[in-house]
Amino acid sequence: MFKLYATILKELLLLRRDRAGLLVLFVMPAVLVLVVSLVQENVLKTIGGTSTRILFVDKDRNSLVETIENRLREFGSLEIIKELDGQKIDEKSAREAIINGDFQFCVIISEGITEAVRERARQLVTRSLSTDDIPLKNDIDVPDLVVYFDPTVRGGFRSAVVSSLNMAVLSMEIREKVRIFSELLPKQMNKIIQEAMDPYVSEKIVEDIPKMSLDWSNQNMMGIKEKPAFSKDFEKIPTSVQQNVPAWALFGIFFIVVPMAGALIRERQDGMQMRLLTMPVSYLTLLSGKVIAYVLVCLIQFIFILIIGKLVLPFLGTSTLEMGSSPIAVIMILLSSILAATGYGIMLGTIAGTYEQASMFGAISVVIAAALGGVMVPVYAMPKVMQEISAFSPLAWGLDAFLDIFVRQGDIKTVFPEILLLLSFFVGTMLISWSYSFRQNRTGI
Amino acid sequence: MTQQTEFNQELVAEKALVAREVVKVYKGSSSPALNGLNISVNQGEIFGLLGPNGAGKTTAISIMSTLLRPTRGSITIYGIDIVRYPNEAKKLLSLVPQEIALYPNLTARENLRYFGRLYGLRSQQLENRIWESLELVGLKERGDERVFTFSGGMKRRANLAAGILSKPRLLFLDEPTVGIDSQSRNMILEKLALLKNTGTSMVYTTHYMEEAELLCSSIVIIDKGQSIAEGNPQELINRTPGCSSLQDLFFAMTGKSIRD
Repeated sequence: MFKLYATILKELLLLRRDRAGLLVLFVMPAVLVLVVSLVQENVLKTIGGTSTRILFVDKDRNSLVETIENRLREFGSLEIIKELDGQKIDEKSAREAIINGDFQFCVIISEGITEAVRERARQLVTRSLSTDDIPLKNDIDVPDLVVYFDPTVRGGFRSAVVSSLNMAVLSMEIREKVRIFSELLPKQMNKIIQEAMDPYVSEKIVEDIPKMSLDWSNQNMMGIKEKPAFSKDFEKIPTSVQQNVPAWALFGIFFIVVPMAGALIRERQDGMQMRLLTMPVSYLTLLSGKVIAYVLVCLIQFIFILIIGKLVLPFLGTSTLEMGSSPIAVIMILLSSILAATGYGIMLGTIAGTYEQASMFGAISVVIAAALGGVMVPVYAMPKVMQEISAFSPLAWGLDAFLDIFVRQGDIKTVFPEILLLLSFFVGTMLISWSYSFRQNRTGI
Repeated sequence: MTQQTEFNQELVAEKALVAREVVKVYKGSSSPALNGLNISVNQGEIFGLLGPNGAGKTTAISIMSTLLRPTRGSITIYGIDIVRYPNEAKKLLSLVPQEIALYPNLTARENLRYFGRLYGLRSQQLENRIWESLELVGLKERGDERVFTFSGGMKRRANLAAGILSKPRLLFLDEPTVGIDSQSRNMILEKLALLKNTGTSMVYTTHYMEEAELLCSSIVIIDKGQSIAEGNPQELINRTPGCSSLQDLFFAMTGKSIRD
């Protein structure tokens, strides 16, 4: 135990003094999490992957605009912003905010729009109820509702937002038409009946016509249920933070294979391994000390990345990292992922002949495993063939398990298969390393 | 067990190292790296293991220090069969590899502290041993400097300090003076002579024949995995016509053609 402790202490001391190694272990994943999360957050904004904040400039300040606004809010995916830094937004500042890329859409409600819509509705209803051929007057001109949008916004997303606005406007128009219809219908009926029957009777009939309720005008009769048609279980899609924080943290964890394999190779090349193996200490103790030291470092590294996800990224305008409700599962996934990475590092350090081989192959293999594992592009966005290949990447197991907890609210039972796979990977790589070392020791090759 | 066998075992136990008919054939190789090597090292003796490149010196050191298993043959260190009981044997031996087997980013003291702990040394005993080892190699004042800042000679001396830290009964030295300045080399040779006087047995490989002649009370010259001359250096020189030094003897035995 004392020898194990000595080895852990030595490894930690060596790591502390290895600035390049620390840079790889801490700064690289931190920078990747920050940069990729922010970039993807921006991409998601332009494609509608996040909730959309719309600037709303109301020059009319009348009741019908409130109907449009309320209807837009009811859609749920649109957030209406009417003030910036405590100041009411005007058309100029709204346009500037769009040009600066701070917002993607701005709706301008022109002055007099309520009055114009009402007049137009009255005109239309009056014309539709009239039995006479009323001479055609000029149609009342209703000002347009203007939408400014960020040119980087993708066409499909733009259409979706414009459709939402169309629906809100249509809903407002129906409501207004129905209101005027219910107001004009009795008068029109009264007029017709008076002309045809006794005036006393007709008035009585008209009084008995019930007032029309307007509630139904906004109510959909048929609902639309959206369901993503994924081949696997991607019921809930992660936000850029939920995707990137665990993804790049795992990438950082697996990148320890480079310094770890490098340390093993240097020990071998510098005669250190020769010296250590002639000492009264087992190879297992030496390897365990190394593994435990790197596990500790990776735990610190993960906490560091979590702090970025929890505090730094939200400060820069992204959503906060949600970590689900099973901390034990998170710890288990983390430990098994770290063990898988350390096992791979030891295997690489044992088999590779030179530091250059290990660093080159280690880095490239981790990048490939990360790409396949959904670190760079989420697995659900990959072609079906790649999704099937990704099932062989340890990073995919780790990431899927983290997303099960962070996004899909899973528990330890949900992620048990992934944990088992990661631990099996660790055991497998350690067995390969041990058998390779044993063969070298026995045969000298 | 017969009386003769018991007597033989006692003799073996008195010897620091006994290697008998050691054969090593690497997998895929047609010829053996060692072919029936016999070595016997007495207690408190510096034994020179000499030979040209590729003669089998490194293989022999690796096998005798438990790093490699022999294909055939037996090796005992103070009577302990190192193939059957390598962990017991490891408590008695120490290796100073040809490479500077130290962590360059640790100080000399930190390196020694780590190695000392692996030998089971603790607290004051460990610190005392570190102090003694550093003093012996003349690095007492530089012990808290990182190894990568050391000169070649200092690194060699620190390498030796790591080897003697555990006070081994048998010390394997694989070319401990290669590529260093004369002063450091002289100092290392002096310290090895001192260690010999404290009863430490040593197996010493070198390409510097004058070192072997100066230090070793017994030598073996091996070539192609076999012993071609064994005994006291002076006696071997005297026995061989036309030889006035170990260098002459070495050339006479192994030839002057370059071995790569």
